[in-house]
Amino acid sequence: MIKRYLIVGILFLIGHQGMAQQGALFASGTKQHQPDASATESYSLKEGLSQLEKQFDVSIAYKDEWVNNKTVQVSNSTFITVEDALDVLLNETNLNYEKAGKGFYVISLRKSEDKTGGMQSASLLKVPVMYPTLSSSTMNFSAQDPQSISFASAIDNLAIAVTGTVMDENGDGFPGVNVLIKGTSVGTSTDAAGKYSLSVDDENAVLIFSFIGYATQEVSVGSRTSVDVKMTSDVKSLDEVVVTALGIERSTKGLGYAATKVNGDELSINRTSNVMNTLTGKIAGVSVSGLGTGPAGTSKIRIRGQSSIGGQNNPLIVINGVPMDNTNFGSNPGSNPDGSIGVRSGGGGSGNTSDGGDGMTSINPDDIESMTVLKGAAASALYGYRASNGVIMITTKSKGTAKGIGVTYNMNFTDETPLDYTDYQYVYGQGENGVRPTAPNPTSGQWSFGEKIQPGMTQVLFNGLTVPYVAQKGILNQFYRHGQNFTNTISLSSTGEKGGINLSIANMDSKGIVPNNTFNRKTINLGFTYDLSEKFSFRGNINYSNEENKNPPNIANQDNSIPTSLMAMANTMPMDVLRDNRYNSSGNEYIYSRFQNRTNPYFVLSDQFNTIKRDRILGNLSFKYEFTKWLFAQVRAGQDYWSRDQEYNNFPTGLASLAPAPTGFVNGQYTQEQRRFRETNIDFLISATKDFGDFGLNVTAGGNQLYRRFDNNSVQVTDFIVRGLYTVQNGRGKDPQYSFQETQVNSLYGSAEVNYKKYLYLTGTYRQDWFSTLSPGHRSIPYGSISAGYVFSESLATKPGWLTQGKFRAAYAEVGSDNSVGAYSQQLPYGFNANFFGGTSPVSSLGNSVPNTLLQPARIDETELGFEMKMFDSRINIDVAVYNKFTNNQILPTQISDASGFTGTTINSARSQNKGIELMLNLVPVRNSNFTWDFTFAGAYNITKVLSLLNETPGSNITVGTHVFNGSVQQIVGQEMGQIVGFGYRRDPATNQIIYGTNGVPLPSLTQIAFGSALPKWVGGFTNSFTYKGITLSVLIDFKLGGKMLSGTNFNAYRHGLQQVTLQGREGGIIGQGLSVSGGANTVVAPVQDYWSVVRSAQLVEPVIYDAGYWKLRQISIGYDFSRFLPPAFPIKAVKLNFVANNVAMLWKGVDNIDPESFGFSSDNLVGMESPGLLTTRSLGFNLNVKF
Amino acid sequence: MKKIITLSLLALSFTLITTSCEKGFDELNTIKTAPTNIDPAFTLNAAVINTSVPGGTLQYDLGIVQQIISSNSGIIAGANYNQVNPGNTPAIWIQYYQNVIKYTNDVIVKTATITPARPNLTAMARIMQANAFMILTDTYGDIPYTEAGKGFTSQLFYPKYDAQSAIYPQIIQELTDAVTALDPAARIETADVLYGGSVDKWKKYGRSLLLRAGMRIVKRDAVNGKAAINSAFSAGAAGLVTTNADLAYIRHDANFVNAVGNTLNSTEAANYYMAAPFVNILLANKDPRINSIAVRYVGATSGPEQVAAKADTTAAKQVGIPMGVDDLTAGQAATTAGIGSRYAFTQIDRTRLSGRLQPMFLLTAAETNLLLSEASLAVNNFIPGGDVAALTYFTTGIKAHMDQLALYGAGTIVPASYQTTYINRRSVLFAAATPADKTKEINTEYWIASFLNGPETWANFRRSNYPVLAPNPYPGRTVNFITRLTYPPSEILVNKNVQSAISNMGGDALDVKVWWDID
Repeated sequence: MIKRYLIVGILFLIGHQGMAQQGALFASGTKQHQPDASATESYSLKEGLSQLEKQFDVSIAYKDEWVNNKTVQVSNSTFITVEDALDVLLNETNLNYEKAGKGFYVISLRKSEDKTGGMQSASLLKVPVMYPTLSSSTMNFSAQDPQSISFASAIDNLAIAVTGTVMDENGDGFPGVNVLIKGTSVGTSTDAAGKYSLSVDDENAVLIFSFIGYATQEVSVGSRTSVDVKMTSDVKSLDEVVVTALGIERSTKGLGYAATKVNGDELSINRTSNVMNTLTGKIAGVSVSGLGTGPAGTSKIRIRGQSSIGGQNNPLIVINGVPMDNTNFGSNPGSNPDGSIGVRSGGGGSGNTSDGGDGMTSINPDDIESMTVLKGAAASALYGYRASNGVIMITTKSKGTAKGIGVTYNMNFTDETPLDYTDYQYVYGQGENGVRPTAPNPTSGQWSFGEKIQPGMTQVLFNGLTVPYVAQKGILNQFYRHGQNFTNTISLSSTGEKGGINLSIANMDSKGIVPNNTFNRKTINLGFTYDLSEKFSFRGNINYSNEENKNPPNIANQDNSIPTSLMAMANTMPMDVLRDNRYNSSGNEYIYSRFQNRTNPYFVLSDQFNTIKRDRILGNLSFKYEFTKWLFAQVRAGQDYWSRDQEYNNFPTGLASLAPAPTGFVNGQYTQEQRRFRETNIDFLISATKDFGDFGLNVTAGGNQLYRRFDNNSVQVTDFIVRGLYTVQNGRGKDPQYSFQETQVNSLYGSAEVNYKKYLYLTGTYRQDWFSTLSPGHRSIPYGSISAGYVFSESLATKPGWLTQGKFRAAYAEVGSDNSVGAYSQQLPYGFNANFFGGTSPVSSLGNSVPNTLLQPARIDETELGFEMKMFDSRINIDVAVYNKFTNNQILPTQISDASGFTGTTINSARSQNKGIELMLNLVPVRNSNFTWDFTFAGAYNITKVLSLLNETPGSNITVGTHVFNGSVQQIVGQEMGQIVGFGYRRDPATNQIIYGTNGVPLPSLTQIAFGSALPKWVGGFTNSFTYKGITLSVLIDFKLGGKMLSGTNFNAYRHGLQQVTLQGREGGIIGQGLSVSGGANTVVAPVQDYWSVVRSAQLVEPVIYDAGYWKLRQISIGYDFSRFLPPAFPIKAVKLNFVANNVAMLWKGVDNIDPESFGFSSDNLVGMESPGLLTTRSLGFNLNVKF
Repeated sequence: MKKIITLSLLALSFTLITTSCEKGFDELNTIKTAPTNIDPAFTLNAAVINTSVPGGTLQYDLGIVQQIISSNSGIIAGANYNQVNPGNTPAIWIQYYQNVIKYTNDVIVKTATITPARPNLTAMARIMQANAFMILTDTYGDIPYTEAGKGFTSQLFYPKYDAQSAIYPQIIQELTDAVTALDPAARIETADVLYGGSVDKWKKYGRSLLLRAGMRIVKRDAVNGKAAINSAFSAGAAGLVTTNADLAYIRHDANFVNAVGNTLNSTEAANYYMAAPFVNILLANKDPRINSIAVRYVGATSGPEQVAAKADTTAAKQVGIPMGVDDLTAGQAATTAGIGSRYAFTQIDRTRLSGRLQPMFLLTAAETNLLLSEASLAVNNFIPGGDVAALTYFTTGIKAHMDQLALYGAGTIVPASYQTTYINRRSVLFAAATPADKTKEINTEYWIASFLNGPETWANFRRSNYPVLAPNPYPGRTVNFITRLTYPPSEILVNKNVQSAISNMGGDALDVKVWWDID
C-alpha cells in the first residue's frame, strides 16, 4: 500500500514538477503529496519516459524524432510495473513499446501506423532484434525503493567512465540509442546530440548499442574511455517471425514462399459470426465467402483458387500446431464427397438443407493471438496431404503481455440489418394468366402474372378474405428481423519468469434474421506455458466450447425453405394475411399456392424446428527438451473431440407438400442424431540449428500419426401416432442407422535449411504419408519441396538509401493427397431398408457409386516465385508472387452412365492447373506524429483450367453437381474449372437469332451450353487506414470479379413474373424477336406466362446466367482509446472502443435482385449454383475492450 | 565394414519404419457396420419392388395415351404439351437401370457361384431383368443391354447401346430359358415378395411376359414373334397369368409406397385430371369402371377446395379435361363445360384407386387374356382357337380387370350385375365386329385394363394403334404423337455410345419410332 502511494506521488510530481526539475526528483520518492484525483497535467513525453527509466531502473530506447514535441496528459495513476506506466504514457501517441529484454524496453512506431490494421505481408511487421538475456539476478524493481536502485547511484559505484558519440548512417548524432553493459542491466541512452556517458567495471566490459531498426553492435571497451559508434540500419530487424509448418518459428526473411500473418485484434474487433469471414478482401490470394445461412454458418475459404476438381478445397486449419476438424455441416449435395460426416441422406430429400456450420464456429476470436496463412504447396509441404489447399494456422493466447496478473474484458455487439436487393415489378399483381384472385381459396400465391394494379382493386385470399390489391413492397424486411451478435469475454492472464497462463471465458449470443434462429456459444480457453527448467519446457492449450444452434433455416431448397418462398412470393400478398392464415381448420398448412412445395414461411417458422448442440474440446500439450543451445526435441499430442446432437423435423405434420399418412397416423418426419468425432495427432520433432562460419544450418526431422474416428447414431421416423409429439417412439416408420468410420495416416518428414551470411537461404523438405483409406500397394506417397530466399539488399556492397529491404524467393513443392477418399471406399457394402416389405420381407440396397480399388494418392506440384521490396523507410512496400500449380492424379467422384446400374465412381486421372499472381502493395503517403495515412492493396488473379479428366480430349466432361432447380456444374477438359452448364436459347447458326417454337415460346438449345466458369478470377481489397491523434479509421473495399453464376432466385423471378423484364407482353402476349422454328420470322403471340416460364418448362437457363462479380464497401471501423480520460485511482487501466460497420454498401454487382454473396452452398461441386439463401446483413456495432 | 553395417542397419530400420507405417491398415479400412455379402434373395426383393412404375409416368406415359393429363407448365410439362422436358424424360431410365437392373445383375452374378446352387433365384432375377429391359427399350428404343448394369461386377461404366432389333430376341431367349430353368425340385425362394417363391406362378409370369414380348414384335418380326407366342402358350392358357390368383403386382405398404399414388396425393394432387378421351370412351361405353376410377369435385375453384364434401363419383357428372390445354385455356374450357373452374374437372380418385398404399399391377390376367384374344383371332392365328376363343379371352379379360379393381378396396368394387351387363354388351359388339374392329375392341379394353401401368399401356397403344386418339391439339406441341422418350441428358453428357444409337434410330426426338413400331 505504501508502495502504491509512493508511486502515485511520484507521478503526481512528474505532472507538477517534472518539466522544471528534470532528474532531480526521484531521490525524493518518499515525499508525500496529496494526490488530486482529478488532476491532469501535460508534460513532455520524453520527460515522462526519462522519469520512468529512473523510477523503475530500466532502459527505454527510442528515436528522439518520435518523442520530441509530444506532450502527454496523464492523470495521476498508480503504476505497479513499468509496463503499466508505458501503457498509459504511450496511450495517445502513435508509439508502442516492446519488452526486448529484462529491464529493457524499445519504443517503436505503432504497427497500425506503418501498416494496415495489423494485416500485412509477413515481412513488413517489425519486431525488435532479440536482446541478449540479462542476468537472471535482476531485481524486481517495482518492489524496490526507487532511491536505492536509482540509476545515478549505480553509476557512482563504477570504476571506468566511458563516453562517446553515437552517429546515424549520415554521421549525425543519434539520440535515444540504448547503451547497455553486456551481462548487466546497467545502461543509458544517448542524448539529443547522440552523446552518452557510462561507467563500466573494467576493461573487459562490452557495450551494446541498440536501436529499433538498426543493427545492434557490441563493442569492447578495452583501454578506451571514449567509444564512438556508427549505427547502420538493419534489415533483420524488419523481419517478422512466423510460425511455419509443424509449429517451427522462422524469420520470414528466409522463407521461399508466401506467408501472411494476421493479428488477433483484427479478428476480434471487426467481428463476423464466423471468424474466418473477417479475412475477406484482406489477404492476396485468399478468397473468403460467408454463406447466406444464418449466424452459425459455414465460411468458405479458398486459397489460390480451387484446385480440386470434385473434392474438398478447404484449407487445413491448424490450432497451436495441431490440425483441427473443420467439417462443415452444410447438407447440400456434394458437401461431403467422401460421404464421411454428412447429414443423413444429404440433399433436399431429407427435408433438411440448413447449414449446420463448420469447425471454426467453435472458436472465439478473442482467444486468437495471431493467424498465419500459408498459401502455397511449399509452405505447407511439411503438413502434407491435408495442406494441399493451403494452411491457416491459428495461435491462441497462452500468456499475458505484461508481468503480473492482467484482466481484460471485451464486449462486442453488432446489429445486423437484412439487406433487400430485390428490384421486382410491382405493376401487375398476384395471379395467373392476367387474372387476379377473385374467388375463395386462390392458389396463385407464388405467381405475379395477375392484373395491372389499379387503385381500389381487391383480391380474394384464403377462404374468401377480401383485401386490397396493392403492391406489397419490402416484405423481406417485414418477415426478417434485425439480427444481433453479443459477445462477452473475460480473460485472465499472467506472465512470470518461467511462463504464463491465459484463461478466458466467453459467451456469445446471436440472433439470426429468421425470427426463431439463435446461436449461443460458450467457450473456455486455457493456454499456458511453463519452463520446468532451463532445458525442459511445456506448453498447452485447451479450448472447450458449448454451442447451441436453434433453427438454422433451410436454404436453397423448395420444401420448407423460408428464403425460397419469400423471394418468389406474389407481389400483392400481404404478409400479415399470410401469417394469420398459415393453418387451415385441421391445423395443417393452409394451401396458398398451387406450388405446394413453396411452404408458407410463417408455417415453417412456427412448425419446423432444428436444434443442434455441440460440445467440443480441442487442445494439445507439447513438451520440449533442449539438449543444448542448438538441439531440441519435442513431443506433442493433440486431440479434437466433439459430440453433436441434432434433432429436427424434416417435414412438420401438416405440410401442404406432404402426402397424407396412412389411416390412423399423422404425417411428418423427424430425425434425431448423435455424432461423435475424435481426431488425435501425435507427433515428435527433433531440430538442430547451428552456424558454421558464414553458413547457418537447421535440420528438423519428425513424424506424425493421425487417427480419426467418427460415428453417428441416427434415427429417422416417418408419420406419427400422436400429433405434435416429435419423438422417435411416436413414429410409425422407423429408420435407425449407425455408421462408424476410422481412418489413420502415418507420416514421416524432415527439413533442412542452409543459409549463407543470412541473406541466401535454401530449404528442402521431404515427407512420406501412408493412408489407411487406400488399398495395399497404393497407400504411400513420398514428396518434397525446395525453396530459396535471396535477400539481395543485404548482399549489396553499398545499399542505396531508399532501399529498406529487397528479396527474391522461389519454391517448388510436391504434395500428395488421398483427399476425397473416405474410409472403406474400396468396398461396396449392402444396406437394408429398416422396414420389412409387407412387414416380413427384408429388402437390401447397394450404394450408387462403384468403388475403385486402384486409387492412388493424388499429387500436387507447385512452383512459386516471389519478389519483395521495401523502400523509403518502409513507406512503399511491394510483395508479388506468381505461382503455377498442377494437381495430378486427382481423385474425384465422377458421373458414369447410370445404365451401368450406378451413377458414379471415383477416378484417379484428373488433372488441373492453377496459375495466378498475387500482389500486396502497401503505401504510407503520410506519416507524421499526428497523422498517418496507410494504404494497402491486396489482390490476386487466379485461373484454373481442367487439363484432363478420364482422358485429355478437349471437351470431355463430367458433371460434379446439379442445381436444385436447373442447370449443373461441370468440369470440361480445356476449359476453366467450374463451368456452369445448361440449356441456352436455340439460335440460328447463321444469324444468331433466337428460334421460337410454333407456340411462340423460345426453344432450348439442342445441346447444353457451357456459360463460363463460376470461379472468380480477381479477388482482392483496398484498405485505407488513417490515424489522427489517437483516432483510427479504416475503410475496406473489396471485390470478386470474373465468375459467372446461375441465379435460382432470378430463375423463380422469371417464372413467377417478378422480374422487371416480365412486364413485357402483359397485355395480349408477346412476340419474341427472332425466327420461327417453322421458318421465317417469329410472328406467333405467346401467352406471357408461358413465355417467361420457359426457364422452367424447357430448362432454358440462359436468361438467369449472370456475372457473379461485385465491388463492396466491406468494412469501416473507427477506434479510439479513452484510457487517458480515466481518473487515476480508477481500477480500470485502459478502455478502447471501436465502432465497426460491415457490408456497408454494394458498389457494383452483376446479378439482379440479390447480393451475389447470399449463396447457400458451401460445396465447390455446386459453385455458382445460386438458389435463395438468407439475405446478407449490414452489421453495425462496437467493440469495447477494458483492461484492469 | 563398419560403414556397410551402418548402412545395412539404416536400410533395415527404414524398411521397418515404412512397413510399420501401414501396420493394421487393412483391418482399419474394413467396414464393420455393413455386410458386403448377403442373401441375394433380399437383393431380388429390391428389384421386384422397384419394378413398380415411377411417378414420372404421369408426365409422359399416361398423358401420351390421354388418360391422365395436367394443364400445368413448368416441372410437370411433358405429354400435355408434347414437349421434351429433360427433367422428366429420364424417369423410366433411372428407375429401371438404377433400381432394378443393378439388383437383378447383382443377383445373377452372385448366384452364379453360390453353393448350393439356387437356380430358381437366378431364373427369377432373369425374368425381372427381362421385364425391366422390355420397359426400357419400349420407352427409349435402342438402349444399353448386353453391357448394362455391370458397373460393379464388370467395371463397365459406359455401356454400349444395342439396337432394339437385337435386344428383343435376347429378351425372348432370356425369358424362355428362365422359365425352363425354374425348377420346383430346387430350393424354393420363400423370401420372394412377388409370389412367395412359387415356381408355378413364376413360370406363368415368365410365360406371360414372353407372350407380351412376342405380341409386341410380331408385326415387325413375325418369325421370332410367333415363336415367342407359341413358346409362351406351350402350356396353354393355364400356363399363363390368366386368373387373378396369379397377378403380378406390388403390394405397396406405408414404407414402400406407390410412387404414382404418392405424387397424386402430395404436391401434384390438384394438378392432374382425367383426360377427356379416356372419360368419354368410358362414358360412351357405359363402362361401370368409371365409378371406381373417377371423382369430380363439383364447384371446386382451387386445390384446397377439392374436399370430400364436394366429391361426386357419379358417372354422369364426370367431365374430363380436354387435351391440349394450358392453365389459361383449361380455365376457358371449364367455363365452356359449365363447371366453373379447371379444378372441377374429373380426377382419378386419389382416395380410392390412386392411394399411396394401393397396389401397382405389373402384369395382369386381364392383359394376358386380351393378348391371347388378339393372338387367337382368325386373322392372326398365332395360337389356336380362332374368333370363338378370342371372344372368350376377350370377356374373360374384361371380367378379370373388373374383378381386379376389388383389390384396391371396397370402394372400387365393380358389382357383378354391372359387370355382366357391360360384358354382354361388349361381347355382342365383338362377335359382330370386323376383324379390324375386333382388334380395336380388344386393345381399347387393354388400354383400360392397363390403366396406371404407364409403360405397358403406352407400348400397347403404339403397337396396336388402338384406341384411335387424335393428336394432342396443344398449339405449342412439337410432335403429333410421342412415340418414344428422348435419352436422359446425363447419357448425352457422359456416355458417348449414345451417339451411335441416335444415328441408328434416326435422331433423338419424341416422334422417332422404336423398331417394333412399324405404323
